[in-house]
Amino acid sequence: MNTMKWLLRREFWEHKGGFVWAPLIAAVIMVVLVAGVVGYGVSSGRMNGDSITVRVGGEEVHRSQMADLATRHSRTEMASVAANNYIAVGAPVFIVLPTVAFFYFLAALYDDRRDRSILFWKSLPISDSTTVLSKLLTGLVLAPVITVGIASAAAFLILMLAGVAVSAQGVNLFGPVLSNVNLYLSPLYLLAMIPVYVLWALPTAGWLLLVSSWAKSKVFLWAVGLPLIVAVLLKWMDYLLALYGSTIHADWIVNNVLETLLLGLVPGAWFMDGGTAMPVNGGHGVDLLSVLGASWGSLARPELWVGAAAGVAMILSAVRLRRWRDEG
Amino acid sequence: MNAVISAKNLTKKYGKQTAVGGIDFEIPAGRIVGLIGPNGSGKTTTLKAALGLIPFEGELRVMGLDPRTQRDALMQDVCFIADVAILPRWLRVRDAVDFVAGIHPRFDRSRAERYIANTRLKPEMKVKQMSKGMIVQLHLALVMAIDAKLLVLDEPTLGLDILYRKQFYQNLLEDYFDENKTIVITTHQVEEVEHILTDLMFIRDGRIVLAASMDEVGERYVEVMVPADKVNAANALQPIDQRTVFGKSVMLFDGVSRAQLAALGETRNPSVADLFVATMKGTYA
Repeated sequence: MNTMKWLLRREFWEHKGGFVWAPLIAAVIMVVLVAGVVGYGVSSGRMNGDSITVRVGGEEVHRSQMADLATRHSRTEMASVAANNYIAVGAPVFIVLPTVAFFYFLAALYDDRRDRSILFWKSLPISDSTTVLSKLLTGLVLAPVITVGIASAAAFLILMLAGVAVSAQGVNLFGPVLSNVNLYLSPLYLLAMIPVYVLWALPTAGWLLLVSSWAKSKVFLWAVGLPLIVAVLLKWMDYLLALYGSTIHADWIVNNVLETLLLGLVPGAWFMDGGTAMPVNGGHGVDLLSVLGASWGSLARPELWVGAAAGVAMILSAVRLRRWRDEG
Repeated sequence: MNAVISAKNLTKKYGKQTAVGGIDFEIPAGRIVGLIGPNGSGKTTTLKAALGLIPFEGELRVMGLDPRTQRDALMQDVCFIADVAILPRWLRVRDAVDFVAGIHPRFDRSRAERYIANTRLKPEMKVKQMSKGMIVQLHLALVMAIDAKLLVLDEPTLGLDILYRKQFYQNLLEDYFDENKTIVITTHQVEEVEHILTDLMFIRDGRIVLAASMDEVGERYVEVMVPADKVNAANALQPIDQRTVFGKSVMLFDGVSRAQLAALGETRNPSVADLFVATMKGTYA
């Protein structure tokens, strides 16, 4: 247990740049941009201009109607929509995660072989399975947790900035927004999706770790090139077989197997392939709680478990390769 | 069981190439053994097998454990430096000490810190800012603070200047070694380790050609400066090597009594380097 704590810390020392600084910089850029726009708008008074139209609930309303519109009831509703959906603003931070995690796994068992520091790590009483597990936990659990934290903080700041902008219109939403319980639950809903994320990401993480442990060089080329070449070959065989009226279902394989191998680290991948429907809640945006429910519902899909099992098998092979590989 | 390493018919093949061809040896506790051989003789392969880094055939026990199946347990008591300057570039001195202290039950933190204080290493320093010699100092500080029963050093000073090399072996002998520890060293710089070794093992083409304690070596091998008029008498005793220095023949004898040789000329103990060269004659021919 203690060993694992130090191994995770080790990963953090080495990869702080990717897992902390990269999402943090993305978040800071977003907040600064929004702050700039709001600051400019409020200070130049343009937000009071009559030319501004605001969309509320899909209806265009004129500036002059704003005060009428902002009745007590509609304020509560606006606040509720804001508190439920603000976290979506953090989406750009979540795009950083799969990119960083992809290259992290690809390098995880390769970099120390390349610079031969593996001989130092192997001189310490740490088993290869513990080492690989620490890398898996770093990429699939710690990195998403850090991302959720940074994205939530950024989304919250942007929400507050938006509150400043609306209050310049004479509509003060701070009270109802800050007192809406969903504001505080949203980050927890995101955290509660991480176990689902881990399961869907296992095949990609496993594939990348396997290549990382096996390839003598050019890990990226192997990890991406090999599946692509297989995809092309399958399509070509399918094309030939079509002449005889037969098929090997190349499209199915490409869509299911190869995408699972390469795109599993994208958050919400279980919605992208259409296998799990994204719950959409009319004009009020997305209700995070039902997204969470739908995400856990995706555990009923057998392909998840087939993929996760394949991922685990690839991870075990990576451990074995690391144990016996002669590093010269 | 008091042998730290014991090998019976240890064999390692890379494809059709035999790196180690069925060797037997025993290394008792409390020794400093020099495993010495030319390039490609199989010394690194032997050590890698003992450290559980590669699969092999035959029988090999390290402190009673099989390095193939019991490596995790073995590494509690064994430490090694397998190459020069292989610490990861991003590692800080402070973090390196924290890490090893955190995971190694036999690590003595104050010892490592005391050793580091005697160098130019600073806690905030990263490996990428260090010279090769400093990286080795850090590595040695970490390894020396581990109370391992067996320490394996494979070319630990290759490419370092003489100041770092001398200091390395001095630290090892003065601050680290005691009768409960065993050290196995491979190196090409034989003359720098010969005064610290207690045992010698020569390996050639995957076979052990000499395994003896330094005392036995001193008794067995004698070098004689033979004047020209006694060369024929000396040749009759079958020297294993012969060279000429300032017109005198210097002959190396194996197992001829010292009294008999003293009659031929001035006798002395050969250096390990000379012995090595004589034993390995024709290796690259």
